[in-house]
Amino acid sequence: MTKNKSGGKLSLQTKRKLQPYLYIAPVLILLLIMFGYPLIKSIVMSFQDYKLSRLDKVSWNNFQNYISMFTDKSFLLLLKNSLVYVVVAVIGQFLLGLGLALGLNGKFRGRGIYQSIVFLPWAFSAFVVGLLFRWSFNGEYGVVNDVLLKLGIIHEKISWLGTPGLSLAVVIMAMIWIGIPFFGINILAALQSVPEDIYEAADMDGCGTFRKFFTLTLPYIKPTIIMTILLRTIWIFNSFDLVVIVTEGGPANYSQTLPSYMYTQAFSSYDFGLAGAFGVLLMVILTLYALIFLKITQYDKAGDF
Amino acid sequence: MKKRVVSILLASAMAVTAFTGCGGGGGSSAAEASKTSEAGSAAPEASAASEAGSAAASGEWSREFEGTSLSFLDVAPSDVRTSYYEGIFQKFYEATGIQVEYQSVPWDDAANKLTVLGASNTLPDVMTTWNGWLGQFTQSGWVIPLDDYIGDTVSEYTDAVVNILWESEKTRYNHIYTVPDGLMVKGIYVRKDWCEELNIELDPTKAWTYDEYFDLVEKLTDPEKNRYGASFRGARGALDPLWVYLQGYTNGATFDQKGKIQMTTDECLTAFNKWLDIYRNHWAPEDSINWGFTEMVDNFVGGLTGTLINDSEVAATLINGMDDSQWTVMPMPTSEKDGKIYNTINAPYAYTISGNSENPDASWLLIQYLTAAENQAEYCQATGEIPIKKDASGLDYYGADGYYGVFLQEMNDETLAVPTSFGTFDFTDLHQGLFHEEIQSCLLGDQDAKTSLDNICNALQTRMDEYMAENPDAGIEVALTMKGQ
Amino acid sequence: MNRSTKKKVVGVIRFFVLAFYLLLVVLPIYWMIVTSFKTNAEIVNAQVITYWPKTFTLDNYKGLFSVMNYGTYLKNSLIVTLSTSLVVTVLSIYGGYGLARFKFRGKGVAMVFFLVTQMIPSILVIIPLYVVFSQMHLIDTYTSLFIFYTVTNLPFCAITMRSFFERIPYALEEAAFVDGCSRGQTLWKVVLPVMFPGIVAVFVFAFIGAWNELIAGTIFLNTQKMWTIPIGLKSLVGKYNVDWGSMMAGGCLALLPTALMFIFVQKYIVEGMTAGAVKG
Repeated sequence: MTKNKSGGKLSLQTKRKLQPYLYIAPVLILLLIMFGYPLIKSIVMSFQDYKLSRLDKVSWNNFQNYISMFTDKSFLLLLKNSLVYVVVAVIGQFLLGLGLALGLNGKFRGRGIYQSIVFLPWAFSAFVVGLLFRWSFNGEYGVVNDVLLKLGIIHEKISWLGTPGLSLAVVIMAMIWIGIPFFGINILAALQSVPEDIYEAADMDGCGTFRKFFTLTLPYIKPTIIMTILLRTIWIFNSFDLVVIVTEGGPANYSQTLPSYMYTQAFSSYDFGLAGAFGVLLMVILTLYALIFLKITQYDKAGDF
Repeated sequence: MKKRVVSILLASAMAVTAFTGCGGGGGSSAAEASKTSEAGSAAPEASAASEAGSAAASGEWSREFEGTSLSFLDVAPSDVRTSYYEGIFQKFYEATGIQVEYQSVPWDDAANKLTVLGASNTLPDVMTTWNGWLGQFTQSGWVIPLDDYIGDTVSEYTDAVVNILWESEKTRYNHIYTVPDGLMVKGIYVRKDWCEELNIELDPTKAWTYDEYFDLVEKLTDPEKNRYGASFRGARGALDPLWVYLQGYTNGATFDQKGKIQMTTDECLTAFNKWLDIYRNHWAPEDSINWGFTEMVDNFVGGLTGTLINDSEVAATLINGMDDSQWTVMPMPTSEKDGKIYNTINAPYAYTISGNSENPDASWLLIQYLTAAENQAEYCQATGEIPIKKDASGLDYYGADGYYGVFLQEMNDETLAVPTSFGTFDFTDLHQGLFHEEIQSCLLGDQDAKTSLDNICNALQTRMDEYMAENPDAGIEVALTMKGQ
Repeated sequence: MNRSTKKKVVGVIRFFVLAFYLLLVVLPIYWMIVTSFKTNAEIVNAQVITYWPKTFTLDNYKGLFSVMNYGTYLKNSLIVTLSTSLVVTVLSIYGGYGLARFKFRGKGVAMVFFLVTQMIPSILVIIPLYVVFSQMHLIDTYTSLFIFYTVTNLPFCAITMRSFFERIPYALEEAAFVDGCSRGQTLWKVVLPVMFPGIVAVFVFAFIGAWNELIAGTIFLNTQKMWTIPIGLKSLVGKYNVDWGSMMAGGCLALLPTALMFIFVQKYIVEGMTAGAVKG
């Protein structure tokens, strides 16, 4: 009994220490197994001559994959496209999402049904949205040109998917469309957690609506915005499905991004060494981005991390 | 106009007869015909064909693999195909006691799926494949040679299979790896009603040239009516029909016997330019620079474009989407240089046995069953393909008195030559990237036609040089004809 | 007076803002629905674009069920998605709670690892996993997709759940400890009821992630009887043409379960993230 008690005391301390790990262990172990192996595998592959069609002849190849990646004549174009794609899409989603959240922040009749409708794009699969956009933006039989012509906004058909710049713009529009609700929901939730009393004090000081927004609301919801932008950037940067479905990267790679190029290359040449090199590059870019972004936005000071 | 219809009917009737009776395809010699007479007394009539087929089917199927089970992967499932396969596998089970599991993957993801299956050694026993994948599949041993299985039965197959498809596989991969599910050729689909409005006479029985084709494209273009002459294709696959056109100037070859690329001549550059002019002269929609198959077909069906170069397989889509009075088929134009018709003959989804199959013998039995005359007939009727076995080729062909007549006529044409592929090496990545990117760059005005053609030629030449260095004894492809070499 | 005009102006602006978003969302969906009731000839007609079906047809919907086994795909999708979302939710509760309530060595590393999992390109994960799954004979089973969807949705859901926990005042739990509850009991009996909206939100996140996934589905599944809805829809893209009518009909039907779910849970989704803050 006594023995047990003293043992119990000791183990209580150990238990205390172990407790946090017990809670997150299931999640962490699962993730380590399922992501750890592919992660290491990709890094190793990127230094190898690794063709899926010749797995018997895998060998180290002296950074050859990285050399061919950086010397690919489209590389700079791909990098530029990726940056334009991710920056415009994230900013677009953020601003439109913020607008939606501000619009929804308050009571009005039919809000429930309104919310269920405007959240819908989030429920779409990228594949269906991609097809819908590719078809609607077809320069000849697409509905978009038809509507614009009928409204008198344009006077001749625009070749959306056949014009450099515009084709990427269509992909970006599709991406923004899908992503607005996600931002909207997150920001709205944050907005609703802003305590009323901070506004009351401001009202007494006679602050204007805009000043109130920038000096009170925005700082309060900053952690949410930072986290949402960070995650969204990672997802968008890595996503290739819309590019592949809407434009296949065309014309002449003007809408091709690094991940979509990697996807196409990986499966057309079976060269997973090269795909691994692209994968490592993507991860390095994103990690640097995440570090710099968190530093600049002072996330750790603003909230919790 | 009536006269024209009659002439089409007549011509196609003749074509069908020629094809049916053909112990040996287009204009074969009597000797050849008699050589193959055993199977190729060749069912002059449909009924005879099916009799022969059922005779083979009933009772004669070996039951030595009774109790085994096979897996079969279809890369282009559709309701028609799925119901055909499920039915036929049931019959196969009754005949042989072998159970077949039907697996499928959407066409769009098929190549990726097979890559993963192949890399992890989990390929199904039998799978349907597209010939563009064979380079990689043979290289990595994902499919096995079928020469020994085919053996003596070679005489059962039509000349198109033996002298073209298999001949080509032998040159490219040293062995035969596929049994075609059926055959398809290319033709030019044309808006018949537009031609009638413009008083343009089209005679599918008469050879025509590419210049005449370009002329037709120009005439059918009418911006006022929102009509364009051609369903141009600028995205993936853009080079395919263009390359065949260029091969009209190189005897159907890509490389000469020393392995030097043939498309660097002025003739080819002129032709290259003429082809791209379809787009640059606005005979095709501006958007078509980034069109793939879907947009090409949709816009032809939807009444935007007047011509469409595509496989005979597409006819099924047109039958569903258009009125018969709206369209017809013209044969591929002849080469201005040697007067031959260069046209591809392919199996859309050929049967292969995978390297992972633990039971290749039973798998072969399945392929034999699938291609037995009676089942072939049913399959080809359902999918609109052309049969591969002589005793199935006499079937009463749906559409043979119309559009299919033209395809059969093309296959029987004495001047038909099947040009080589882009090379004996693996070119999938070029096909999915560089080829159409170079064409698009030129169409966008980023670079001139010569640069684009040179870049394409250089890329191919580099591949060929590497390939020849690695395989000094490899044969070099030449254009093939029905008669063999 | 100044105040009330201001209020009016804000009201008008808000009306236009909300109308803008409604149009933005509704127009494409309207186009899908209208298209799904058109005949194929009308859909591809390049000369005349119709904004209401000229000939109204249900064939596209009928075809989905009669020739395409849409019912089977629906069943498969529901099985995989519901099991995934349930398990993700439960695991996220524990993981999120652990991350929110404890300070421990390696917490920062764990968080960074969560972020990194989101950075790995999906095909580099799918291919090695395929090899593992095939050795474990999991190919062409619900389990393969269940495992994959669970791990891919888990990091985000756990991070999100953590932020919910952080908004709940710790005092709530301390009160329970004083009453003699263990941590586990406190979590289930005291914290979770307050968190209910947040839990719903996480469930929905996971549900949507799994419901729409396509690539892993095509790689891990072999037979049509196992296909999920996205794969079924993908098979409507043929070599030469897309069956637009069926595609749009299928797209609408695929949206239906999520749309219905939204109607019931939309207020929780938003509330979920605010829970606690009300009391804080």
